[in-house]
Amino acid sequence: MSTIIIDGLSFALPLFIMAIGGIFSEKSGITNLALEGFQGVGAFVGALSAVLIANALGTDVQNMFYVSLIFAMIGGMGFSIIHAILCIKFKANQVISGVVINILAVALTAFLTTQINALVFGAASDKFRLGVSERFTIAGLADIPVIGAIFTDVYPFQVIIVVMAIFAWYLLYKTRFGMRLRASGDNPHAVDAAGVNVLKVRFSAVLISGLLAGLAGMCFAYSISANFSSNIYMGYGFLAIAALIFGNWRILPTFAACLLFGFAKSGGTFIAQAMALPSSYTDLFMILPYVLTLLLLIFFSKSNRAPRALGEIYDKGKR
Amino acid sequence: MNKDKKKTSLSYRLLWPIRNEKWQSITIPVASILISFIAAAIVILLLGKNPLQAFYNLFQGAGILPKASYAGYKSMLTDFLSLLNAMTPLVFASLAVAVALKAGLFNIGVSGQMLFSGFLATVIVGYSGLDAFIAKPLVLLIGIVAGGLMGGLVGWLKYRFNIHEVVSTIMLNYIAQYVISFFIQMYYIDPVSRQSQYISEAARLTLVNVEIANLKMDIPLGFLLAIIVAIFIKFMMDKTVVGFEIQAVGSNRNAAKYTGIKVGRNMILAMILSGSLAGLAGVTYYLGYYSSIQPKVLSSIGFDSIAVALLGNSHPIGIIFSSFLISTIDQGSTYMSSQAGIRQEIASVIIGLILLFSACGAYVKHKVSRLKDKEVERKDSES
Repeated sequence: MSTIIIDGLSFALPLFIMAIGGIFSEKSGITNLALEGFQGVGAFVGALSAVLIANALGTDVQNMFYVSLIFAMIGGMGFSIIHAILCIKFKANQVISGVVINILAVALTAFLTTQINALVFGAASDKFRLGVSERFTIAGLADIPVIGAIFTDVYPFQVIIVVMAIFAWYLLYKTRFGMRLRASGDNPHAVDAAGVNVLKVRFSAVLISGLLAGLAGMCFAYSISANFSSNIYMGYGFLAIAALIFGNWRILPTFAACLLFGFAKSGGTFIAQAMALPSSYTDLFMILPYVLTLLLLIFFSKSNRAPRALGEIYDKGKR
Repeated sequence: MNKDKKKTSLSYRLLWPIRNEKWQSITIPVASILISFIAAAIVILLLGKNPLQAFYNLFQGAGILPKASYAGYKSMLTDFLSLLNAMTPLVFASLAVAVALKAGLFNIGVSGQMLFSGFLATVIVGYSGLDAFIAKPLVLLIGIVAGGLMGGLVGWLKYRFNIHEVVSTIMLNYIAQYVISFFIQMYYIDPVSRQSQYISEAARLTLVNVEIANLKMDIPLGFLLAIIVAIFIKFMMDKTVVGFEIQAVGSNRNAAKYTGIKVGRNMILAMILSGSLAGLAGVTYYLGYYSSIQPKVLSSIGFDSIAVALLGNSHPIGIIFSSFLISTIDQGSTYMSSQAGIRQEIASVIIGLILLFSACGAYVKHKVSRLKDKEVERKDSES
């Protein structure tokens, strides 16, 4: 039971912070299918800087955990500028821009990883080795039955994510910036009439989504895969998008959706292991989160409502 | 002021190749292709290699230009045929995306639909030992039906339950990927290759190693079909009521509703059509280009095709050209990396750049027409 909670949370939280990024972008009116690319490039930049700095200082890559998180956020944000410029300045179709950015991200990171490995380390490798981040257990709280699992074997990034998620919630719902951002997605002309630059609001929203997705990508690299390679593009970005649409573009329901994904995933693996089935059966349990989502959507999506101006290019002169 | 005027007219003159609005749907993609090749050339120069040589190798590898020497039974023709072989699924997949786009829907599930139809055809026909004349049409039929069913399901979920097609296709992609991986690993695994067992030659849509005139070539039968289907889609969209209604739904759902077009029915229909095209892509990929299925892997064609469709302006004939270009770069990359010593991955970077620049097409169009207006104004004020 406790493994389900521990593994589920360590998967759900990075997904959640990425979905929050998506919410920021989509609430401001910019469709964001590029999350997948953002998280990959973020993880690439984070892993690259960790490996390079560790190499220069002669220390172990393990010590670079926090440094790489910061660089991953910067990397994800930097890469998201492309999406922002394409969608806002160049008025490109937002879905297409997202898809193109994903393709470019996979190609660029694969090329640069092998190129840099060959140039700097003289090794023919397509990955940066990172190792798994250390975990900690909070002594007193971990002894509580059931809930105690939440405080057992925690990755440090989980704490960071929770703090950032609370801050993001505050930013989106309790500040003037958040209000304007939400309004830009529903009625951009009203925002404009109030004297706020819609394009600037949207630009910063996309940058925030890049920053958060980059963080999430680095967390996946440090927990699930223990390295950076093209395996990072497992479709978690799309899963985050599914979670946020499922959560009706609101942060708390999206959190529930992410928890559902996480627990269904770890639960599926757990059941397969507990029943001592051969490993190929795990595949069958892996579909649990996706089937559950489809079924739940059938019941809940009638009331789903996307931001009204989502995906529309803002045109001042339009009525 | 005078200087400003001059600047306008200079950039106006520089843009002469893409000024004509009639040709913009062709000139803008061509311009973005050129720009991305220039960008790639700069990268290759920075790596200390000769870009012209690299691009020449790229086309040599794809069978468009002759190589210096060939292995036995190989020639430029065999290389070119394998290019067409690789290109066939991409054409079908891009048509699938384009048809859905015409109805205002995004079919991100092409990969899943491909896998589903490819798997069904493999299991039902691939291992059956049927005669080639029955097996090959049957494979195509299964591809169309299986893909169509899966596409139709997405359309129905959208119409009946208001489930966003992007979400449902992503979920279905995962479900197809895992379920099919389960069945392959349980029943159809080849212990050596770790893939599904190879299908019989009779069921394969590509004739492999046919010896003609001392050459061993792969003849992709699906390619002809792809061209025919592309022309058929073009005809359907332009000349038939069904095509018109689908496009009406895509351009303005509410207006279509008021004129009495059944929006839901047309959305489902477009998704069935899109799904069956994806199904054709699936069978030409898994039972043509390859002859087995790798478990747990979704083909990247499903996502590439979205961009290829965009590069071809969602126009069936444009798609044939854009998939030709993308497959050329893809196919030639191996030879290029072996000859010029440049990493193969640069090829996908070039593809990514082409797509990135062509995504800016609408903006370029807009800017050019603004420049044109300014130019007319300037001439008016001068005279």
